[in-house]
Amino acid sequence: MIGSKRERRDNAFICIFLVIFAFLYSLPTLTMVFSAMKGEAGILSDLSFFPKKIDLSAFMEVLRSDYFLRSIRNSLSVALWVCLFCVSLSVLTGYVLSRNTGARFTYYYILLLVLQMFPLTLRLFPMFKVFKAFGLLNTHACLVITYTGINLPFSALMMKGFFDTIPYEIEESAMIDGCSQLQSLVRIVLPLSLAGIATVTIFTFLNVWNEYMFANVFVNDRDLVMFTVALQQYVTQNESLWAHLMSASTLGILPSLIFLIFAQKYIVHGLTSGAVKG
Amino acid sequence: MNKTAYKRRVSLQKKNTRLATCLLVPATLVLLAVSIYPVLSSLWMSFTNEHLLRKETNFVGLANYARLLHDSEFWGSVGFTFTYSFFVVAIAYVCGLALALMLNRKIRMRGALRAILLLPWVIPPVIAVTNLKWILHDQIGLINTTLRAWGIIDKPILFLAQYGLIRPTVILASAWKQLPFMMVTLLAGLQSVPTELYESASIDGAGFFRKLFSITLPVIRPLTFINTTLSFVWTINSFEMIWLMTGGGPSGHTFTVPVLSYYTAFFRNDMSYAATIATSILVVLLLLTLLNFRVQFGKGFEGLGLGGRGKGEAA
Repeated sequence: MIGSKRERRDNAFICIFLVIFAFLYSLPTLTMVFSAMKGEAGILSDLSFFPKKIDLSAFMEVLRSDYFLRSIRNSLSVALWVCLFCVSLSVLTGYVLSRNTGARFTYYYILLLVLQMFPLTLRLFPMFKVFKAFGLLNTHACLVITYTGINLPFSALMMKGFFDTIPYEIEESAMIDGCSQLQSLVRIVLPLSLAGIATVTIFTFLNVWNEYMFANVFVNDRDLVMFTVALQQYVTQNESLWAHLMSASTLGILPSLIFLIFAQKYIVHGLTSGAVKG
Repeated sequence: MNKTAYKRRVSLQKKNTRLATCLLVPATLVLLAVSIYPVLSSLWMSFTNEHLLRKETNFVGLANYARLLHDSEFWGSVGFTFTYSFFVVAIAYVCGLALALMLNRKIRMRGALRAILLLPWVIPPVIAVTNLKWILHDQIGLINTTLRAWGIIDKPILFLAQYGLIRPTVILASAWKQLPFMMVTLLAGLQSVPTELYESASIDGAGFFRKLFSITLPVIRPLTFINTTLSFVWTINSFEMIWLMTGGGPSGHTFTVPVLSYYTAFFRNDMSYAATIATSILVVLLLLTLLNFRVQFGKGFEGLGLGGRGKGEAA
């Protein structure tokens, strides 16, 4: 091919540029990890980028702290419940919207698209009042309900996109052999859309894991707080345990890192299906 | 198709539609409870004088909206919301496009670079903000200490306290968080541009910019429109980045509409006025959504009417 030598040279330059850019772009995150390694003794005195002396005592203390571990457990359990509800509801909804035509389903589809755009702050006050009235404030139930509802439109639309790629003819032939509609969903469509279910699950999990506003307003009980709220205990007006905060934060981005390393294609798919499709 | 078979098919479809409607019930209940009721309730609240410190609540009609019209703090926040969203989306789009163009070539470590650049999108905003504040800190932050060590500045830059700097800082911080979304969606868009177009353009002697403006940008124009409006809506709605970075301060200088609404509700206890502020942004969001639909589904939204059955488009 003509100019391939030039292209290779250009690509090498671009690669070097991207490596430098990626380094600068990740500076806030890298600084967090290295600051955590300086320990409480070095974090305010050792201002170099790399720690002069590696001191993991802050990590150890965070990992031994009941409060932090409990908050991680709370976040995990809420996130898993939300994944369960949200994925099953979005499978049903996505399937129905993908396999049916007619005005009522079109309107439902539009409703989901519009609900995605509504500001969350608009829902915060009424839900706060409702949960207070039902005595659900300071429980995990109110967070599970809220997060399921918030994530549902996006997840259902994404599932619909996946089901649209599975030809209806496969189901029709199964139904001729005596499958009911529900059986064909469970036995034919679901096994074919595992990638879609994985994407929706990962997205729902990360959304719940990362959420702060509702978690902060709805749950304040020491035993029940989510980890994003628990992080704030380290730096208050009374004490500033910066190394602890950095260590806890480093541990807190581990799920995101793990998903990025092992399931990058699902994250990319989730991102693109939000915009490229709808 | 003979008549009985047709009848059977129609009745099967009817039965299926009924089943389908039943299957939508659980999701509808959740959406009613978590999305539709709260939004309507907020609307209602904006017509009352509900206040956390006042015992009784009365219907006051449009009084809150009248107050909104003369509230300079509110209009200031509206102005900043739009500047903020515009610059965040513009910066994220231009940088995202540049990165996507580079990542679309056959370079080494493509997957690893993409993963690293994706990271800010997936980490919790609370942590992202902590990290940003940490490197922007005036005394111990990496940026200030490095610039001072290199002798470029002699006084620390107060990124988060100085009036002239706080807004650009917040905008850059949010653009930093929004960039991966733009990059990845644009990359997916670039991969759908047929390579033959570039090859024939190269033969005709077109340079890089000629190809960019005559081929790439026109082909990805619908995608550009959809992901910028989507990102614009998200940025208008976004609360956590600004709230955690500045809390709206110094003295309300970085209030966007959602932040001001939250502040009004939980620090001034004025629930009804907070609901009014939050509702006001709905109009803008609905307009943007409508625009987005027009591009996504065609002028009369005909793309919507078709449902999904057997469309068979690739994921």
